[in-house]
Amino acid sequence: MADVSWQNTDGSLTLEKPRRNRLMFVVGGIVLISAVVFLVVNAMSGSTQLYKTVNEFYADQGRLVGRDLRVSGWVIGDTIQYTQIDAHNSRLEFDITDDLTNPAGQRLHVVVLNEPRPDLLQHEAQALVEGHGDANGIFTSDPGGLMLKCPTRYEEMDPAGHPDSVPTS
Amino acid sequence: MIADIGFLTLLLAFLCAVYAVVAAIYGIRKNDDRWVRSARNGLIVVFPLLLLAAGLVITALVTGDFSIAYVSHVSSRGMPTYLKVTALWGGQAGSLLFWNVLLSAFTCAAMLTKWREQKELMPYVIIVSGMTQIFFLLISTFVEDPFTRNVVIPPDGNGLNPLLRHPGMIIHPPMLYLGFVGFTVPYSFAMASLMAKQKGDNWIHTTRRWTLVAWLFLGLGLILGGRWAYDVLGWGGYWGWDPVENASMMPWLAGTAFLHSVMIQEKMRMFKMWNMFLIVLTYCLVILGTFIVRSGVISSVHAFAQSAIGPLFFGFIVIMFVFSAYWITVRRDSLRSENALVSYLSREAAFLYNNFLIMAILAVVFLFTYYPIFSELFTGEKGFVGPPVYERALAPLFAALVLLMGVAPLTMWYRTSIQRFGRAILWPAVATTAFVVLLFIMGVRLWPALLGFWLVVFSAALTIMEFVKGTRARMRKGESAWTAFWTLTARNRRRYGGYWIHMGVLIMAFGIVADGIYQTETQIRLQSGESITIGDFEMKFNTVTRFPGADDLLITQADVSLYKNGEFVRTLTPKIELYQRTGQPMTIPSARSTITEDFYVILVNWEPTSADAATFRIFLNPLINWVWAGGVIFVLGTLIAAWPDREKAPARSRRSVVAVAGD
Repeated sequence: MADVSWQNTDGSLTLEKPRRNRLMFVVGGIVLISAVVFLVVNAMSGSTQLYKTVNEFYADQGRLVGRDLRVSGWVIGDTIQYTQIDAHNSRLEFDITDDLTNPAGQRLHVVVLNEPRPDLLQHEAQALVEGHGDANGIFTSDPGGLMLKCPTRYEEMDPAGHPDSVPTS
Repeated sequence: MIADIGFLTLLLAFLCAVYAVVAAIYGIRKNDDRWVRSARNGLIVVFPLLLLAAGLVITALVTGDFSIAYVSHVSSRGMPTYLKVTALWGGQAGSLLFWNVLLSAFTCAAMLTKWREQKELMPYVIIVSGMTQIFFLLISTFVEDPFTRNVVIPPDGNGLNPLLRHPGMIIHPPMLYLGFVGFTVPYSFAMASLMAKQKGDNWIHTTRRWTLVAWLFLGLGLILGGRWAYDVLGWGGYWGWDPVENASMMPWLAGTAFLHSVMIQEKMRMFKMWNMFLIVLTYCLVILGTFIVRSGVISSVHAFAQSAIGPLFFGFIVIMFVFSAYWITVRRDSLRSENALVSYLSREAAFLYNNFLIMAILAVVFLFTYYPIFSELFTGEKGFVGPPVYERALAPLFAALVLLMGVAPLTMWYRTSIQRFGRAILWPAVATTAFVVLLFIMGVRLWPALLGFWLVVFSAALTIMEFVKGTRARMRKGESAWTAFWTLTARNRRRYGGYWIHMGVLIMAFGIVADGIYQTETQIRLQSGESITIGDFEMKFNTVTRFPGADDLLITQADVSLYKNGEFVRTLTPKIELYQRTGQPMTIPSARSTITEDFYVILVNWEPTSADAATFRIFLNPLINWVWAGGVIFVLGTLIAAWPDREKAPARSRRSVVAVAGD
């Protein structure tokens, strides 16, 4: 800081061409805001996911097959299977549903390849899976796409209701 | 008995807070100091009452009084005492009570320390901080009462999820709460200065340390949360851009912008309206963050209880926003800037760029966090934005911020000569480029990594130069190098504390760039005696043993030998702890941590039928410990900047000292 000296010793610079300066800052601001908008649009382009429940997925399966989705549901404990295929490959499978109290409810079969079985993957856990569904109701997770809700607070939601069935206002 | 006394205590605290606000308004209207003093006493007494309520909850938790629903919900007989005590903030009702205790502690401290000094503002501070206290007490007393009784008393409680039994997770929530609650004080003084028609930046000087402390706690809470995720969740990462994480980050960002922007007001009498807006924004983001965390309106990997408090929080945010907007509008004449920017290359312009970048980052995080709501509103379909989108959009903004962190201290107020500025950055730029060329020769070939390292090292070099120049100047007066360096920081705590904070953030940024780009991850099944090579490391699997542990645990522990460049380094013991009663497993990673990298291994799978084979997931995290080391320096720097001066100067002369220090 000692290398740079004060340029204004009499305070007169505050009156120097204020209108032109203001215009320069406005133009500069518009350019910078445009750059941020570009960054956002560019980052989001083709990279956002649709968020669906299991029932919503089946209700619009024809359109949603192959699309980038984030699906949420309750884990059915009996269906969890972890298979070590060979030295490098493993397969984790389980079903999720919107309502654990309804045995006839629709289920989505989730397949996760080459990932460890998360500690929280248990019966009644709330799963969020990012990946792609197919016409047979098999949902393949992206790498790192399986998330189980972390018990940040002790209270759990009611498994009879869907995690996202809460009003949004 | 505890439940009855507890509820009455909460009710009394609520009534005291209501009385304080009403008495303060009446005292102001009647210009009667007795009413104002009574209002102050009413607000102060809320703190001991809430302390008593919290003490009663802790007593019930420690003694296992399962007649209280909260106690049976968050504790069990088998839990260690320290976990029973910390269960106060483990559930919704308890954490809201804890929030109330901290808020009343901050308010009480402000009343006691600032009463004589800020007599003109304090009646209004009582009103504003009292409104916040009333809202949270309303929830704790009537909606989320921690003393609600169980209809049927259970023999034992639910207990604590093992994943939360980590020191980081025990300290993390109080740190965040302290940060959140702490911002109420500067907000209250800001609003009070408007209501009292007080011009100038008295409220900024009065609350600078409060703001820094709140900002420190919030930052510390974020770092501890990241450390817990890294240690416990076994995914080798520390930040996932989850809405709940973002909810804490956003007020921290707004607070960062505010802390920088107030310096322009202090020195140049500019951006007064903007600073008001920033403190209102920070406060509203604190309440919004609490709302997000507790309402479940946004899909998150964090599970939270659903309750009726969501709409109440939303209503409170609207009320406080309208309240703040009203006073800013009514007093807009007193918030006009007294100077104008004259140059693109000046200290005030650098602060403007800093604010622009931080607000841009905040806006992007806000947009992406609330994207599910926005997309549903506009398209009818709920969308979601994942971490890669955040990283693509934010990386250039963070890069620009890192650059600014280094060059901004070189600028002068009003205008900086471009020639001198160029000379000041020339040699650090040359040295940094030489360093990056060296990295290239050593094998770093990815351009994002080279660019990231260049920016961080360049900014760090410029920051170090500031210390070198200051130390040399003192040495010319005859001080030894160490004395000169020490007194430089001690005598200019605000300025050099700020540089220490910058160094901490830059060190963190270096680690984030290295780990983000060069982290490697492998999953493999090994037979006993087999090994795998990753980089310079070789990991040999020896054996797996299973044995009982304390607290009904069944521990499955692998034994692996780690070699680096052919030489034995140490034995690692990743394990899975199974809580047999609840069936909850917990994967405990084992890591060899050094300043250059973490070799981080988790035991993924082991079946007793094939005792000689096990599956591992291995992460090689380069420079990850720089993130934590930078975090420690960040905390120390903030403490230096916030540390009180030995001799308290009168307000006017202190202001001039601050102005000189900020030059």
